[in-house]
Amino acid sequence: MRARLFYFLAGVLGAALPATAADPPPVRLVVKPLLCVIDKGASSCAVTFDIRWQSTRAAEYCLNADAQPAPLRCWPSALSGQHQQDRAVTEDFAFWLSPPTGTERVAEVKIEVLRVGSDDRRRERRARHVWDVL
Amino acid sequence: MRISRWKYLLTMVVVCAAPQLAHAQSAAPTPHPVPEEKSWRLGVALGYGMRTNPLIQSDDIPVVVDLDIAWFGERWFFDNGDLGFELFDRPSFTTNLVARVNSDRAFFSKTNTRYVNFTRASGGVVLPMTDPLTGEPIDAAQPTPLKVPKRDYAVELGLEMLMDGEWGQASLRAFHDVSGTHNGYEIGVDYSYRWTHGRLSVAPSVGVAYKDAALNDYYWGVQPGEAGLTLRPYHAKGGIGWETGLRTSYYLTKKTRLAVSANYERLEHSVALSPIVKRPYVLGYFAGIAWQF
Repeated sequence: MRARLFYFLAGVLGAALPATAADPPPVRLVVKPLLCVIDKGASSCAVTFDIRWQSTRAAEYCLNADAQPAPLRCWPSALSGQHQQDRAVTEDFAFWLSPPTGTERVAEVKIEVLRVGSDDRRRERRARHVWDVL
Repeated sequence: MRISRWKYLLTMVVVCAAPQLAHAQSAAPTPHPVPEEKSWRLGVALGYGMRTNPLIQSDDIPVVVDLDIAWFGERWFFDNGDLGFELFDRPSFTTNLVARVNSDRAFFSKTNTRYVNFTRASGGVVLPMTDPLTGEPIDAAQPTPLKVPKRDYAVELGLEMLMDGEWGQASLRAFHDVSGTHNGYEIGVDYSYRWTHGRLSVAPSVGVAYKDAALNDYYWGVQPGEAGLTLRPYHAKGGIGWETGLRTSYYLTKKTRLAVSANYERLEHSVALSPIVKRPYVLGYFAGIAWQF
């Protein structure tokens, strides 16, 4: 009975633990800035993105972005990489790293766009309540 | 008479606006594709702030939580207690009919009563005082209450015109009491400009408002029936007050921001002289974190 319980627990743990041998190397992708604020009247914000990645194992990676069919840059076998990109941002998109051949995203960072203000003037009216401070 | 004339003016504006309503929505051009906005705007800010209370015997109003609850339909809207209807929407301005609750009343919810003993000293002897109204001696052992008179909420109906452009944004407004509470009116104008640089947004603002004698006297005057040993009768006149403010936001994410704001409001001269007013201004400030859902 004890042996059966041991094998059951071992099986559950084995299924829950990641199969480390088959996993891709952990890659850390850091992009700054992550948020682009567009004020009313502006159609986009011009941003210079600072993109850095680091891996625990040397490998070939390509940097991609939404709405860009070709990779922005590819690195030969490396442990880290850095890239800067000027971009006029109008909507949310993502940067991601993938192997040169393949569509797998080994690391991904989402860039968000926040529109401040509204074309509906009613949403811009100032509240005049005593308790309102925002 | 004054009310009916005002109601007539409002009616005329609505009647004149009616033929324009069908065109109002199509008039505003869209300079760039913008994602459609939700009808509901829900937000909450947590932090620390204070709004001073200009009344005597009153407590300042702490601001720890600030809720933002608004709904915008095609023409109707609800904005944190204000109920509105869009009459015109033109490329350069929008005119709304708005019903609101007067904000002066809020100060009267945070008042206390103080008890005062009246005596006078003459030749080293403490003597009872006499009531100047009746001539009767005042019982020194019987404290006289000093408290701010009660005031009611007023529902006000009015028009506001909102304008904006590269120069900033401005609003004109005119509101009149329709609840029979103070029977007065207010006319105001304010202007603000927002700078956005990176994640930081800074918006200074200025505003001027005229409140008539009926409005000011109801809230800030002391009626003969309310006067006594501790409060003298006072009639507040109409006057102009002004305010200036600064709202700053630092956006952390799309839905979260750090918010710091401050506002200074100078009361009308006649209001500031009222015996129930201890400070001629209202200062508000807040710093905290705000979420937009």
